Amino acid sequence: MTEFAETSKATSPVVECRGVQRIYQQDSVPVYALRGADLTIHAGEFVSLAGPSGSGKSTLLNVIGGLDGFDAGSVTVGGVDLAALTPAQLAQTRLHNVGFVFQAYNLIPVLSARENVEFILQLQGVASQQRRSRADRALRSMGLAELGDRRPGELSGGQQQRVAIARAIVTEPVLLLADEPTANLDSKTTSELLAVLRDLNQQQGMTIVTATHDPIVMEYTSRQVTMLDGEIRQDDGVTA
Amino acid sequence: MIRLAWRNLQRNKARTWLTACGIGFAVLLVSFAMSLQSGSYEIMIDSATRYFTGHGQISTDDYIEQPRFARTIANAESLQATLEAIDGLTVFPRVQAFGVVSKDEKSLGGMILGVDFAAEREQLDVYNNVIAGQVPDASDQALIGAAMARNIGANLGDEIVVLGSGKQGSVAAAVFIVAGIVETGQVELDRSLIFAPFASVADAFYLADEAHMLVLMLNDLSRLNDIAAEVEAQLPESLGLQTWQQLMPLIEQSIELDKAGGYLFFSLLLILVTFAVVNTFVMGLFERTREFGLFMALGMRPWQVIGQVQFEALLLSLLGVLLGLALAYPLLVYLTSVGIALDQVGGEEVSRQMQMGSMSRIYPRATWPSMTTAPLVLIIGTQLAALVSTLRVQGIRPVTALRAE
Repeated sequence: MTEFAETSKATSPVVECRGVQRIYQQDSVPVYALRGADLTIHAGEFVSLAGPSGSGKSTLLNVIGGLDGFDAGSVTVGGVDLAALTPAQLAQTRLHNVGFVFQAYNLIPVLSARENVEFILQLQGVASQQRRSRADRALRSMGLAELGDRRPGELSGGQQQRVAIARAIVTEPVLLLADEPTANLDSKTTSELLAVLRDLNQQQGMTIVTATHDPIVMEYTSRQVTMLDGEIRQDDGVTA
Repeated sequence: MIRLAWRNLQRNKARTWLTACGIGFAVLLVSFAMSLQSGSYEIMIDSATRYFTGHGQISTDDYIEQPRFARTIANAESLQATLEAIDGLTVFPRVQAFGVVSKDEKSLGGMILGVDFAAEREQLDVYNNVIAGQVPDASDQALIGAAMARNIGANLGDEIVVLGSGKQGSVAAAVFIVAGIVETGQVELDRSLIFAPFASVADAFYLADEAHMLVLMLNDLSRLNDIAAEVEAQLPESLGLQTWQQLMPLIEQSIELDKAGGYLFFSLLLILVTFAVVNTFVMGLFERTREFGLFMALGMRPWQVIGQVQFEALLLSLLGVLLGLALAYPLLVYLTSVGIALDQVGGEEVSRQMQMGSMSRIYPRATWPSMTTAPLVLIIGTQLAALVSTLRVQGIRPVTALRAE
């Protein structure tokens, strides 16, 4: 996994999808979620995958993150062909190289904000003291330094999503994937959160891909990719 | 992980405590019942052995095979002295002869038992059942069964004549004065038994420093195996030791039968509790499908998720077990000291039967098996129950699980 990280940080592209197809069976009827999607994302890009519901943007995000498989085509992340990885290797890839931010925050309700952030470090086997300092640093960078001891139920939606981002970035992943991260937030909180993501991208050079159908999100990203019916219909191309 | 497991248990406190209480109740019930069972066996064995038979008997091997008058232990007195040097052991000799017992013109066949009254009455309960007169304290006195006394018309102070066959075939004769009448509770014995002083019977039947058996009584029955080994090491080849298990096989068989019944009941109870735990876990796991999906999305492997849930199951079962033991232990400590009146646990009939001995109360006995069986079974059962429920985690796809409500 270390090899993966070094390779991906030193070279681009970070993500390369070629002719990716994803077909679900619904009552024995094939449903094409992705119909040969081609997408290349370079290091340091902040990409939005836009499109209406059912356009395939979340599916593509899940495929890139190794959460979902694909039926045809190829996906390489950091130069590693995901099709060649076993489920265990995919899990390791997610753990070490990909950060996820979900629409529904998906924090562990019985753990405090700090413990949620520490959790993923614990999975990585990071020592206790280091976990604590790294988690505090990540929370501080999200403006949550004072709220580390609160549980998710004691935080607002925006604060919970910031904790989720802190959890996603605390491992310093190669790629941050965000699936409709602002869908449950009001416009003010949405803007604040997008500013946080933009700062991560611009100041730390983190590669971010977010699925969204919110036009405000697209204003913050450096590249917009539009999807429809499982295909990429429009791509702004790579920004400088 | 410990913190996560503990907090997950607190997530639905009512369910966690109900399950823990179920486990705790089963631990309490099974531990208490097994301790009570263990105590009752001890009382049963003690009551049976202390009544008349003793904890063990030494005889010649051929006497054990087929009791005959001539098959005696030679040098009985020195062997008795040797064995009594063993710590915690009391030994007394007996001779057993058969003859005709007469009073005036009435005669009956009887078994004449030569005993050391002074030693035996300190150890055995049969002498507590003298219903008239007293235990003999002179060499010419005898204690006779109530039915025999009635049948030959003997009363206290009457002379009875015993005629039998001595060791060399010569006629053995003795006269005893009835000092007491005993009712053993066993009709056969009451109809035929005469207790008389050991030395007098041995003299009358021409036995010189001989006995048919040496009866062993232990201060602590739990040391039986150790003491039996020590005794056997001291015995000449021609002699054999029978412990109470060989002397009274029915007692041991009935204990084994009772144990089997107990184990069946305990097993059913533990299975029921385990099923309740399975139910709890299945419910809990369905509610947490999304969470498991998250764990796996973040990079947790299925076996790690299973391990996490197994750990929660372990904590839950430990909580229940500790709860059960916390209740069972003080209860057993208290009842071990004060006992339970027999008529409270087995009715008047049990009480009457047991009181033929000297026991009127049962003292539960907490043993390692009685205190560890239920906890171990429930901890293992809970682990298996959780495992059966969590194996489905292997089939969970994170992307699907994250969409679960």
